[in-house]
Amino acid sequence: MINFEQVKKSYPDGFEALRNVSFNLSRGEMAFLTGHSGAGKSTLLKLIMLMERASEGKVSVGGQNLSNIPRRQIPYFRRHVGVVFQNHRLLFDRSIFDNVALPLEISGMSQRDIGRRVRAALDKVGLLSKEKLSPIQLSGGEQQRVGIARAVVNKPPLVLADEPTGNLDPELSAEIMKLFMQFNQVGVSILIASHDLALIHPLHYRVIELSQGSIISGAHNG
Amino acid sequence: MAELPKSSGARPAESKNAVKHYFENHQKVAKSTLQQLLHQPLTTAFTCFVIGIALVLPTLLSVLLANIEDINKHWDGSPQITLLLKKGVPRLDAGVLAESIAQKQSVSTSLFVDNELALADFKNRFEFSDVIEFLDENPLPHAIIVRLSPTLTVISDIEQLRDSLLSLPEVDSAILDAAWVQRLQSITRLIERAVWVIAIMLSLTVVLVLGNTIRLAIENRKEEILVVKLVGGTDPFVRRPFLYMGLLLGLGSSIIAWCLIHWVIYLLNEPIEALALSYQFEFSLSGLTFVSTLFLLIFGLSLGWLSAWLAVRRHLDEIEPN
Repeated sequence: MINFEQVKKSYPDGFEALRNVSFNLSRGEMAFLTGHSGAGKSTLLKLIMLMERASEGKVSVGGQNLSNIPRRQIPYFRRHVGVVFQNHRLLFDRSIFDNVALPLEISGMSQRDIGRRVRAALDKVGLLSKEKLSPIQLSGGEQQRVGIARAVVNKPPLVLADEPTGNLDPELSAEIMKLFMQFNQVGVSILIASHDLALIHPLHYRVIELSQGSIISGAHNG
Repeated sequence: MAELPKSSGARPAESKNAVKHYFENHQKVAKSTLQQLLHQPLTTAFTCFVIGIALVLPTLLSVLLANIEDINKHWDGSPQITLLLKKGVPRLDAGVLAESIAQKQSVSTSLFVDNELALADFKNRFEFSDVIEFLDENPLPHAIIVRLSPTLTVISDIEQLRDSLLSLPEVDSAILDAAWVQRLQSITRLIERAVWVIAIMLSLTVVLVLGNTIRLAIENRKEEILVVKLVGGTDPFVRRPFLYMGLLLGLGSSIIAWCLIHWVIYLLNEPIEALALSYQFEFSLSGLTFVSTLFLLIFGLSLGWLSAWLAVRRHLDEIEPN
């Protein structure tokens, strides 16, 4: 699903965020990406999202070489990648329903289908009864679940998460991880950046460890 | 799990629906943008008033211009040439001459004025007419008043006609009251030019004011724009609400401008009518015609759209998830 070959990312000021990173994530696989802050986790996710482009090397997602995707095509590519953010990035000026419906609105789905898909996604994260509320009325854990519902409502084959449990206590974090595992069980490929080793090690998924822009362990399956 | 599709190209069976959803989306965006604007009624009204006032001046001047052109066309005093005939030209010949002049293409009517009748008229009109009693003979010559065709508006053409009439053997002199024609033409040209200059400058103001309003709106919704871009919103999708905002503000401004213009015309009409009466003709400003109203509307809408487009170009593309 994701394939990095000798990927390097450097910034105009000379800072090298990633150095010769090579790894792959198989279809339907779930893995964690760890490392200290500044190790390059976010940069790596940004390359997959086409928020940034690699300086050298090749990044491909779903068999598609990302350097071949022109700027205009980026939105269509992003519709196939669900993303969960640490600060969940919900919009507080609209209801939970409308937040989750956003990706579907964008892809031009009919209102009837949107209603069905949004409720299915909210049901999966256990928030069906709260669709009319504003995100501000929810707890931190619930807000993050809305963020997850928004990421999966489009049924993307790949979901990325950047520190999805960063602001949550261990119990809520475990619930969030359980949600990701459920989505993985129905075939969604998932890559989660997290520095919460106590949370992820007991889960027995592959852990890819980054340090100072290089992968130091877990680059390949098994 | 299937390969990621190369693009979002809709399948043929879905393309009809895609068009429908596209329009659904437009409708939805227009509605929600309107709701947003109405949610802040004071700010919206203030913006529309500023733009509306800026639209009033050029529109009002062009109304004035249209009215002046209207005078040009319909005023009874279309340019006229008075031909004074030589002494001794018999009344009958003068009448025949008047008829033959009337046949000319550039002449609308030609009226023979008998010198006896003219004298009688003169006596009736003026208090000092007693003086005439002391004259031995009628000092007035026969005259022919030639009204020119309304199509004849260029001064040089009028002068050419006067010269050709002057060359007739019976004609002693020809008086062309062209001064007002010239003046009116210069005034019209002046106002025309002024309308253009003012319209251009105020349009620029409108674009800057609206552009700034839209820029603030973009700034306020930065987070939303980022999220929309992250979940796959295309540039047109992101721009759409702001373009609608420009259109709606332009529409509101046009409506306010329309009302203001009619109010101003109402205020001006009384003194203008009085002024016109003092020149012995009836005249009042007419309001905006259907075409001018349509023009004002399209002008407001296109300025709104243009400002939004420029603001969006300038600021929206800068907001990239990073």
